[in-house]
Amino acid sequence: HRLSIFDRQPFRLYIFPKYYYIFVIANKLCKVFFFFYCMQHVLFPGEIVVNEVNFVRKCINNENGHDDLWGKLICTNFKVSFIPQEDPPKQNAHLSHLLLAEHDVALTCLDQVVTVNDAKGKKKVLGSNQKLKFNPTELILYCKDLRIIRFCFDEAGPESAKKVCLAIAHYAHPADLHLLFGFEYQGRRYHEPANRGEGLSQAKLPQTPVYDCPSDWDREIKRTGATEWRVCSINERYNVSQSLPEYIVVPASLADQDLRQFANCYSDNRIPLWCWNHPNGSALVRMCNVADPIAQKKFEQRIFNAITKSHPTCSEVIKLDLEKSLPNILDIQSAFCKFRQSCVIDPFEESEERWFSCIENSRWLEYVRAFLKQSAEIVFLMEVKSVSVVITEEEDRDLNCAVSSLVQLMLDPHYRSLSGFQSLVQKEWVMAGHRFLDRCNHLKRNDKEECPLFLLFLDCVWQMINQYPAAFEFTETYLTVLSDSMWIPVHGTFLFNSCLQRTQHLTEFAKTKAIPPGEDQSVYFPPVWEWSQQFSAKEQTLFNNPMYVGKSVARVQNGEVKTFKRTKKAYSASVKGSPASVVNGLRDGEGTLSRRVSFMSELKPEFSSVKDVVESPSERFFRDWFSRPFDQQGLLLPLLLPSHIAVWKLFFLRWVPEACIPKGGTVTAYHKLCQLVDEIEMLQCQLKHYKGPSPCITPEPSPCKPHSVQRRMYFNACSADESPSLPDFLTSSFPFTPVGNLCRRSTLGTPITKFLNGAKIWLSTETLNDTV
Amino acid sequence: MEKSGSIDSLGSKRSSSRQPSVDSLSSSSTSRSDRSAQIKAHSSESTSTEFSPERVKPKAAAKHIPRESDKQEPQLLPNETVQDVAKDVTYFCPFGGALRGTVIVTNYRLFFKCMDREPAFVLDLPLAVLSRVEKIGNASTRGDVSYGMVCKDMRNLRFAHKHMDDTLRKSIFEVLMKFAFPVSNGLQIFALQYGQVFPENGWKVYDALTEYKRQGIPNESWRITKVNDHYELCDTYPSTLAVPVNIPDEEIRRVAAFRAKGRIPVLSWIHPESQATITRCSQPMVGVNGKRSKEDEKYLQSIMDANAQSHKLFIFDARPSVNAAANKVYLKGGGYESEDAYQNAELVFLDIHNIHVMRESLRKLKDVVYPNIEDSHWLSNLESTHWLEHIKLIMAGALRIADKVESGKTSVVVHCSDGWDRTCQLTSLAMLMLDGYYRTIRGFEVLLEKEWLSFGHRFQTRIGHGDKNHTDADRSPVFIQFIDCVWQLTRQFPAAFEFNEYFLVTILDHLYSCLFGTFLCNSEQHRMKEDIPKKTVSLWSYVNSQVEDFTNPLYVNYSNHVLFPVVSLRHLELWVGYYIRWNPRMRPQEPVHQRYKELLAKRAELQRRVEELQREVTNRSASSSSERAGSPTRSITPVQTFI
Repeated sequence: HRLSIFDRQPFRLYIFPKYYYIFVIANKLCKVFFFFYCMQHVLFPGEIVVNEVNFVRKCINNENGHDDLWGKLICTNFKVSFIPQEDPPKQNAHLSHLLLAEHDVALTCLDQVVTVNDAKGKKKVLGSNQKLKFNPTELILYCKDLRIIRFCFDEAGPESAKKVCLAIAHYAHPADLHLLFGFEYQGRRYHEPANRGEGLSQAKLPQTPVYDCPSDWDREIKRTGATEWRVCSINERYNVSQSLPEYIVVPASLADQDLRQFANCYSDNRIPLWCWNHPNGSALVRMCNVADPIAQKKFEQRIFNAITKSHPTCSEVIKLDLEKSLPNILDIQSAFCKFRQSCVIDPFEESEERWFSCIENSRWLEYVRAFLKQSAEIVFLMEVKSVSVVITEEEDRDLNCAVSSLVQLMLDPHYRSLSGFQSLVQKEWVMAGHRFLDRCNHLKRNDKEECPLFLLFLDCVWQMINQYPAAFEFTETYLTVLSDSMWIPVHGTFLFNSCLQRTQHLTEFAKTKAIPPGEDQSVYFPPVWEWSQQFSAKEQTLFNNPMYVGKSVARVQNGEVKTFKRTKKAYSASVKGSPASVVNGLRDGEGTLSRRVSFMSELKPEFSSVKDVVESPSERFFRDWFSRPFDQQGLLLPLLLPSHIAVWKLFFLRWVPEACIPKGGTVTAYHKLCQLVDEIEMLQCQLKHYKGPSPCITPEPSPCKPHSVQRRMYFNACSADESPSLPDFLTSSFPFTPVGNLCRRSTLGTPITKFLNGAKIWLSTETLNDTV
Repeated sequence: MEKSGSIDSLGSKRSSSRQPSVDSLSSSSTSRSDRSAQIKAHSSESTSTEFSPERVKPKAAAKHIPRESDKQEPQLLPNETVQDVAKDVTYFCPFGGALRGTVIVTNYRLFFKCMDREPAFVLDLPLAVLSRVEKIGNASTRGDVSYGMVCKDMRNLRFAHKHMDDTLRKSIFEVLMKFAFPVSNGLQIFALQYGQVFPENGWKVYDALTEYKRQGIPNESWRITKVNDHYELCDTYPSTLAVPVNIPDEEIRRVAAFRAKGRIPVLSWIHPESQATITRCSQPMVGVNGKRSKEDEKYLQSIMDANAQSHKLFIFDARPSVNAAANKVYLKGGGYESEDAYQNAELVFLDIHNIHVMRESLRKLKDVVYPNIEDSHWLSNLESTHWLEHIKLIMAGALRIADKVESGKTSVVVHCSDGWDRTCQLTSLAMLMLDGYYRTIRGFEVLLEKEWLSFGHRFQTRIGHGDKNHTDADRSPVFIQFIDCVWQLTRQFPAAFEFNEYFLVTILDHLYSCLFGTFLCNSEQHRMKEDIPKKTVSLWSYVNSQVEDFTNPLYVNYSNHVLFPVVSLRHLELWVGYYIRWNPRMRPQEPVHQRYKELLAKRAELQRRVEELQREVTNRSASSSSERAGSPTRSITPVQTFI
């Protein structure tokens, strides 16, 4: 039967030729040694089974439930795993994760564990170490990646079901950071001889600089031409500040001694941090608010003077308090909860009625727009006014992270490449001390600290990608997967509040687990940027945007290969108008404005009643910029009318079966683009082959063998004899699949509906606990 | 519209085409850069220009036209004549403030140009787009006369000029009013004068017999009847009709008597495999007493019998059930089929509102989007117009029809009251979902000619061509809604349509422009009587003469690809490229199409070079070993050239 499915879908053979055979073999193994197979192959180093229960039904979206899966529910110290007895036809579209199977959820990804007794009409949100006074008939898992998964225990032993539920809840609330699976996992990998070398020789590993050494910063200073700035190491071994990285960049005119003195007046001794330099010399600097007003007067002026000195024309410094213009942590969390409620929790048809006003009332899109707008304003100041900008925030660990990264994305094409983007996140979020541990609430200790600020940032990036689809090297799938990675605790990127905390924990863990000290004293905890931990090379090609106009790519014109990037001169010449203006802004800026004003004053009074748009200089600059052709590798400004800001459907609606467009969605265009680019790359490969060392000696060059090399595009060009066909698995949710996620259509009218609707489970844990 | 050009902008440097990507193979690229191919040729980059259908001149003609910015006057079309010119007129641009310049009024267009600005500001629109022109302001305002204009294409204009000292001389706007509403002033519509010759004759695009033949009609169950050859059975239907084989013409006449306006059920589309059909008609005249017609009952039974796959027939009544019931009482004894009378038929109401509700909704939408979008409450303002809700209901209805036919293999009958508004929307949308042919450019033209034009959607009445009576309650954006629905489909299935957004915008622009004869009159009979195909140019003549401009490069003709869109507000979007295109801040998004075309050009270039090298290598190997020199092209590896 299984094979017949493949017979019907021959395209699959083409897409996954290698996996197909593996899959067939695995299937056979599965049938024969089902039990052993699971136990031996699903567990990872350091993973142990905590509890399990058989004869569990996983609810799949279907009216009558006959697609539901029967199988075993397992809780380990890493994940909640469901192993179906009958392997269902594998979802072709499913993005396969190396550590998590289709039905698995990492414990860290669990947001709420809800048990229900249908007959007694009881429900309880389970925390750690809690008692459950009823036998659950159902378990509903609300996940941080927005999945909702429902299990029924109608055929399972009531006691074992209860035990598994309690175990899941318990392990989802680790008492200590060390209990997160990643420590055990990476610690063991460290012991394995095969991995050990890998762990130690970091040199070959991350292409993404992680900014934990002076050279990464030096390179960045050189790249941006920030000659008047220097790397400073006064925070080595975190001697000065606990939340800053060991190496920071400061104005060249400030001596270490001065910095130590200034540090005292900042909370947690956070000396202002350099972020980035514009080619015109203006710098972006971030800092926290100064608590003491007297100290502020005294030191701030000196720091600002130093920043001014580092500017080539010694322009003034503009200080912006982001807390005045942007929502705070609580606002953002509350917006996210409401937004999520509308997108995935409320019954589809019900929320359909007032969809737009629900989205608006959540304020999520409004906040996305506010961040983009604030960042664009800063871009205006740096690009046009050529002034250095200091952004401030109480602790410099939240809003500043988002805004500084967005400003750099808009101004510097380097950060729109994949590795550039990763280094940006590393620099402005991880190293700058964004409290990922608290904001993600991995230990589920303090809900008030929880905030999806990083997701909000990713949403802002998505809005830019949506508006400029050729300007970014990565896809929205990449952004989605990056966000999901926050909930898989096997990499160190999103687990800690600061570099210091990271170092301390890893050293301590190494000590207690008696891991022999290597070159550095701690366990090697790889960053998320080592994507091979999570995905095969093939799956990683989903990150590549086929439309990307990279700067290093050569282009072909009239038989000549030209470099991609236009010189500034050529670019300006193609735009009518004075070339200087494009770079330094204020091109007739003032002139035009004054002309405008004088024109207005000539008008007859009754005409001035016509509503005239009063534009600020920055708005005028934006409008001007929008009216001109732009360079994918130059400045990018987001379009900011409310109608430009869209719901990020792939992220928010990917698990909602009702919202999934079969054989549709932007992926159909992506599919086509990938095939074309793949074809182009094969041709380039062929050309290279001809131009190889000695083409004349090889009389009959064979075209390059496509299957021998890893191709850059996920979808490959099909051969000429195949008629174009649209793979069935292409849906608007691709590469995710909503099958297996709770579908509200199936629950409407059944008792479970009232739990889902009435509870508003994600919002009010405490009240729910009382109901038991 | 995925490109600019349509911007009422002030002082901005706007090149007519975005030239976004630095690697564009400009010289070899066939890219239309959207519609600018010929705009580039004759309009200067330094002219900001609003959209004008004048651009429809064939490319060749455009070549030797001097740059527009050098001239004070617009490019006149054949038989277009200047009627009046006025200097020192002020145009109040809602986005950039007041501008002073020259106005030219011809028998076709309104042209305004302000030279004070760098670049020059130009406003150029067909007069037919004006729905209402009014003198505003009062005598007390020191000698200025101000005119407000409401346009059918989602914008308003306002001009003013000095009061004429010479009271005998008419204001230019009085002249304008005369030509803007030719029908009300006893003048000819410009389409009847426009004499442009195109390489292709668009009036030949649709031939009813050819289209039925494409669908396999006539066959054993369906026949073509000439009963309406002279429009005596039904004057709003086409002359060629497809009806069930076993119903003779005499019975058809009796069925016509039972259906409103004689609009009997006739075939729109037949499924090539299951033979399930979509038939369309008007409401049955059951009235309050529940009148029955055994001919009509037999007729529907034959429609059901023609499809062996199913023993059921679905009747989709587009109206809300309340309205359908009200039709029995208040309106000429209409109503709906009772399930008692029609065995095996199931009646479904689709809850789509009438033309008046739709008109009101679009009016509200205009308030929300023009001229400026408020910074806050955008989404709830949009929601309050209900526009997308109406779009959703129409698409949901069409989806149900398509699903019944495709998945249920069941035949359906679709009607509303008269069967010329909502019915057109539903049948044509369902056909677009079901049949890939209609998703090609020519197929879409055929679809419009068939389901809308030949079946008597009352374009003249709904749009009010050349008629100054702007309050006419018969006007309604029924067709705009349909095009909006099509756009929504293209958003959900970006590779399934051969045409692009610009094609849809062009259709809507010429719906109003009265440059082409396509959308004139109310019915086929009316068009024949007026001899429209002889006296005017078809919009398809223009479109098919430069198809490339309207082509979606991402299009793939997947066989048997039925579109099942998700009809949810989560996926429906406001068509900003149409409704908000006048806003200069509404810069169109960087089009994916553009990038795709660049990549296509790049591939072609690489293919050429690979072939060259192969030839070179072959030649070398041939000369180095002359004895085994075969054909010089022997070793050329075929290069993949498909998409």
